[in-house]
Amino acid sequence: MELKFLSEDMRKEIDRYVEAFPTREQAIIQSLHLIYDKYKDIQQDHIQELSNYLKVPVGLVEGIVSFYDMFRINRGARHHIRVCKNLPCHLMGCKGLIRTFEDLTGEKVNQKSKNGRFYIETVECIGSCSIAPAFMIDDDLYNGLNITEESLNEILSKYT
Amino acid sequence: MKSYLNIPDLNANSDINLLLRRAKENRTVWIDEYITTGGYSALKKALSKFTPEDIVVLVEESNLRGRGGAGFPTGRKWRFALSNPAPRYLICNADESEPGTFKDRIIMERDPHLLIEGMIVSAYALGASMGFIYIRGEYPTGARILRKAIEESREKGFLGKNILGTDFSFDILVYRGAGAYICGEETALIESLEGKRGHPRLKPPYPVSNGLFGKPTVVNNVETLANIPIIVAYEGYYMNIGSAGYYGPKLFPVSGKVNKPGVYEATMDITLRDLIEMAGGIRDRKRFKAVFAGALAIYSEKDLDTPMNYSPRGFGGTGTTIVLSEDDCIIDSLIVIAEFFKHESCGKCTPCRVGTYEQLNILRKFQEGKATEKDIELLGYLGKNIPVGSICGLGYSAPNAIMNALSKFRDEFMEHMKGRCPAGVCFRSK
Ligand SMILES: Cc1cc2nc3c(=O)[nH]c(=O)nc-3n(C[C@H](O)[C@H](O)[C@H](O)COP(=O)(O)O)c2cc1C
Ligand code: SF4
Ligand code: FES
Repeated sequence: MELKFLSEDMRKEIDRYVEAFPTREQAIIQSLHLIYDKYKDIQQDHIQELSNYLKVPVGLVEGIVSFYDMFRINRGARHHIRVCKNLPCHLMGCKGLIRTFEDLTGEKVNQKSKNGRFYIETVECIGSCSIAPAFMIDDDLYNGLNITEESLNEILSKYT
Repeated sequence: MKSYLNIPDLNANSDINLLLRRAKENRTVWIDEYITTGGYSALKKALSKFTPEDIVVLVEESNLRGRGGAGFPTGRKWRFALSNPAPRYLICNADESEPGTFKDRIIMERDPHLLIEGMIVSAYALGASMGFIYIRGEYPTGARILRKAIEESREKGFLGKNILGTDFSFDILVYRGAGAYICGEETALIESLEGKRGHPRLKPPYPVSNGLFGKPTVVNNVETLANIPIIVAYEGYYMNIGSAGYYGPKLFPVSGKVNKPGVYEATMDITLRDLIEMAGGIRDRKRFKAVFAGALAIYSEKDLDTPMNYSPRGFGGTGTTIVLSEDDCIIDSLIVIAEFFKHESCGKCTPCRVGTYEQLNILRKFQEGKATEKDIELLGYLGKNIPVGSICGLGYSAPNAIMNALSKFRDEFMEHMKGRCPAGVCFRSK
């Protein structure tokens, strides 16, 4: 079987999950994280390949992808911006922050990326409410209070 | 090492220095420092001085209440699990997704061994040989730190086979969630941990008899488990921490309109007023208006002198405290919370799925100045009926804040019906 998406490193990691956890199904979500980390997106081909590799029904993997917000398919971007919109961040002005993101990236919030660089998503509380309005770019967390167009631009320039 | 460094600079402070003893600075305390500052001595004490039964009795006597929201007595939960035959599992609930809650991450990112030591001692008491930390997907750094700390702990012989030369063996696996608030509910968490969609199970049976893979399982919050080494170290003196039956340290994540939002450690006799004071008071010298606390319920100025404990009058819950000032609108805030519940309802029970949707629609009518008396009645109707037709805590608590607001901030609803927003938040750019 030819594997197109699961690199050798990823397969090693997946094998470790399969060995450590009592059941193979427990490796599904952990493996999807590896795919998401690498491709910032999860596509039907990824799902099929993972299901073959783990020898679990493809429907099971699909069901998981559709249930969990982090695995939403078809974002179409290399970097994933998550802006929190829950109450503490709302009180501290996340709406303005979202607008600034839209202006700087030319993308629309919660819509498939046009230029393939950033996908902006509003999310529920990300457990960082004391640095509200909080946002994440990929795995990095930022404090959005008092942020200006310039400082945000500088942050964005790190993600090519 | 570099990849571990990106932990958020969240303000943390404490007068009592128990849970936050090593966690006030923005860095991770690894095993050598943990041990030189007294770490793993509770585990050594537990294994050399106490039987598992002794530990259970200590936890029962401590009156420790679960810090994950429900406030269930931990000793009682353990006793239920022990009445069911082995194998038993221990699960640490690190899903931490309730809006305004960011206390568990401070322990996991800064003092991970406190949690790990707590889990090992708990597993010893429970006769569990396998434990899991279910950590929310949005905490990638926390997961990395915990995996490394577990590795460190194994190397020193605190985890794995024959811990410290005894015949007790235990190991921990970290399992990442993937963005679903409902997976914090313990039965949904177990489904998710088994590699499925996170739908809550019908209860009973409870996890203590039919949990992970159908086996007896104890699910405890991060902060609950972090209390265990402290209980073993302090024994009877634990009852000197705090008062009136609500013993032990508690973490309070304070956010919203305060000068120094952050995680504060205090005893549970602290009042809301003092907690806000600890967090630097209200921002910009504004007046206090309301607070979301407990299970996302809303409180007014009249509640400022209520203690943050688990008494029927207290706030209970996770300790979460979201502060609103006179600049903030109750209706607007309720809408944010209602959107959250609508989005996170797993859809299994119709009253929760449809009811959370309806609540939101009605609240939006208030924001648009289109609401009538009939809508207040409808909200009351939903508030009664969503919980009745729901099988899990999400449905039970979804109308909480709205129902509280209807009695405590009724004038805000009335004003919005007339097209006025007392805080000047709604009806602006029309
Ligand atoms: C919708 C919902 C979300 C929950 N989220 C969490 C959570 O993120 N963390 C947590 O520890 N408990 C959460 N709980 C409570 C758990 O179901 C469970 O009571 C708790 O983990 C038990 O641990 P404790 O006794 O140590 O508090 C949640 C409950 C509900 C109904
Ligand atoms: S009450 Fe709501 S969240 Fe809980 S199981 Fe029912 S539909 Fe799902
Ligand atoms: S509400 Fe935004 S991080 Fe918690």
